[in-house]
Amino acid sequence: MTGAAPLLPEPRQPGRVLDARLHLLDRQVLDVDSVPVGTLDDLELGPSGPGAAAGSPRADDPPLDGTTTVVVTALLSGPVLGTRVFGGRPPASRWHRVLWRHVTDVGTAVRLANRGDDLDLTWTERWVRDHVVGRLPGGRHDPDAGP
Amino acid sequence: MKRLLAVALGILTAIGGFLDAGDLVTNAVVGSRFGMSLAWVVGAGVIGICVFAHMSGKVAAVSGRATFEIIRERLGPRAAGLNLAASLAVTVLTLVAEVGGIALALQLASSVDHRLWVPVAALAVWLVLWRVKFEIMENVTGLLGLALVGFAVAVFLLGPDWGELAAQLAPQVPVEEDAGTYWYYAIALFGAAMTPYEVFFFSSGGVEEGWTAKDLATSRLNVLVGFPLGGLLSVSIAACAALVLMPAGIQVDAMSQLTLPVAQAGGTLLVAVIIVGIVAATFGAALETALSTGYSLSQYLGWSWGKFRRPAQAARFHLAMILALVVAVAVLATNVDPIAVTEYSVVFSAVALPLTYLPILVVANDPEYMGDQVNGRAMNAVATVYLVIIVVAAVAAIPLMIATEAGG
Repeated sequence: MTGAAPLLPEPRQPGRVLDARLHLLDRQVLDVDSVPVGTLDDLELGPSGPGAAAGSPRADDPPLDGTTTVVVTALLSGPVLGTRVFGGRPPASRWHRVLWRHVTDVGTAVRLANRGDDLDLTWTERWVRDHVVGRLPGGRHDPDAGP
Repeated sequence: MKRLLAVALGILTAIGGFLDAGDLVTNAVVGSRFGMSLAWVVGAGVIGICVFAHMSGKVAAVSGRATFEIIRERLGPRAAGLNLAASLAVTVLTLVAEVGGIALALQLASSVDHRLWVPVAALAVWLVLWRVKFEIMENVTGLLGLALVGFAVAVFLLGPDWGELAAQLAPQVPVEEDAGTYWYYAIALFGAAMTPYEVFFFSSGGVEEGWTAKDLATSRLNVLVGFPLGGLLSVSIAACAALVLMPAGIQVDAMSQLTLPVAQAGGTLLVAVIIVGIVAATFGAALETALSTGYSLSQYLGWSWGKFRRPAQAARFHLAMILALVVAVAVLATNVDPIAVTEYSVVFSAVALPLTYLPILVVANDPEYMGDQVNGRAMNAVATVYLVIIVVAAVAAIPLMIATEAGG
C-alpha cells in the first residue's frame, strides 16, 4: 500500500444495469423496421464528456488515467468479427460503427432508430441487391402480392 | 383441412429429417439387414427431436429469435462459428443428396438418366425458393409428402404375422451381423431423427409464419403431429424391407429397391403413389436444407433473411442459397453417388448436435427471452438426459464409422 485512498466501490447507477457480454455482444441489431442490419460483434469504448461521444478513439488521445468515466460510444459490426474469432486489432478506420445514441432498446435484440439501408454497415447487402439479386427476374417481387 | 395445413410446417420439417433421400435408403437398409430390431432407436429419436423442436419453436414464438440467433448469442463467435461450419457441411451434403435424390426419383418415373435431371431438379428447387410463398411451399410439399403413408399401407397389404413382427421389436443384434455395425446404424438413425437443420428450419419457419406467444399451441401441435408421423413412416419403410427384402436376402443399395416391397403389396398404383411421395419428400428436404443453409448463415452474421421479405430485401440470404445449389450441382457433376455422400455428414453432426441443442436448452430457461414460459422441470430433465445421449452418440459415431467402414 502506498498510502493512497483505497478504491471506492462503483457507485450505484440509476436505471438498468447491462452486462456487455450477457446483454449486448452477439445479439441481433434490428433497424427501426425490425430488419436485421448486423450482429453486435464488438463495442467501442471512449471517455465520456463533451465532444467525446461522437468521435472514435485516436492514437493522439490522452491516455485514460483511471479517473475518467468510460462509456460505450458505438456498436461495431462487420469485419471486426474476425478479431473476436482470431484476435488482433485492425486499424480503427476499418470498422463499421453504429453510434450508441441511435440505440432505442436493448432486449433480446438491440433496436436502432435508423433505417438499415442508411448505415455504412449494410453496404454488402446493398451491393448484392444492386448487382445480383435485384437484377434477376422477380427479385423485387413482394411475396404477399400473389403470383 | 385447415387443421391439417396448420401442421404443414411440422410435417415438412419431419420429412426433411426422417425421410430425406439418404434416410429413405438407410431405413430400407436397416429393415433388410436388422429387421425391426432398430425401431426403438427411431422411437427414441422422435422423443428427442420433439423435446428440442418444441423448445426452439417456443423460443421463436415468444421472443421472435430463431435458433441460430440464440446459438450465436449464447456461444459467442468462436463456438458458434464452429457449429456454423459443421452445420453448413451437414446441410450442404444433405442438399447434394436431395438434388441427386430428386433426379433419381424422376428417373424411376421417367426412365431418363438421373444425371440429365440434376440441373432441372436444382432449377426447380431454386424457383420455389425464389418465388413461392412460404406457406404455399410448406403446404404443397407437406401434403404430397404424405403419399409416403403408402409404405404404412403396404405393410398392412403384405399381411404380416403381426406377432412375429412385434417379436422383432426387441433390441437385439441379428446373428449374421456384428455389434459394431448394429450400433453404427443405431447412431445413424438417431442422428437422422435429431439432425440439427430440423430446428433451424422449424424455428425460422415459425418466424416466417409470424408466430407470437399466441401461437404456442400451433407450435406444439406441429411438433406432436409432424415428428411422430415422420418416425412412423420411417419405421414403415423398415418394416416393408424386413417383410420382403430380408427373407429374399436382397441387399439394399439403391433408391429403386424401395419400391420392390410396395410393388409386391399394392401393385403399380401403390408404386405410383410412393414415387409421388418420394419426389415430394426429397424435394421438401431439398427446400428445407437449402433454406437452413441461408437461415443459419444469415442468423450468425446478422443478415436480413426470410421468404416473407422480397428477395431484394434479403439479398445475401438468397445469394447464399443460390451458391449452395450451385455447389450441389457441381458436386453431382462429378458423378459421385448422392446417397453415399450423406454418410459422411455423421462426422459433422458430431460437432453440430451438442453445440445446437445446448444453447436451445439454456435459452428456453432464460426469463429474459421466455418470460413466464420458461421450461418446466420435467422438460429440463428429459432434455438434459437427451443432451448426454447426444454427446455419447456424437463421440461414438466417428470411431464406429471407421471400424465398420460406414456400415459395410
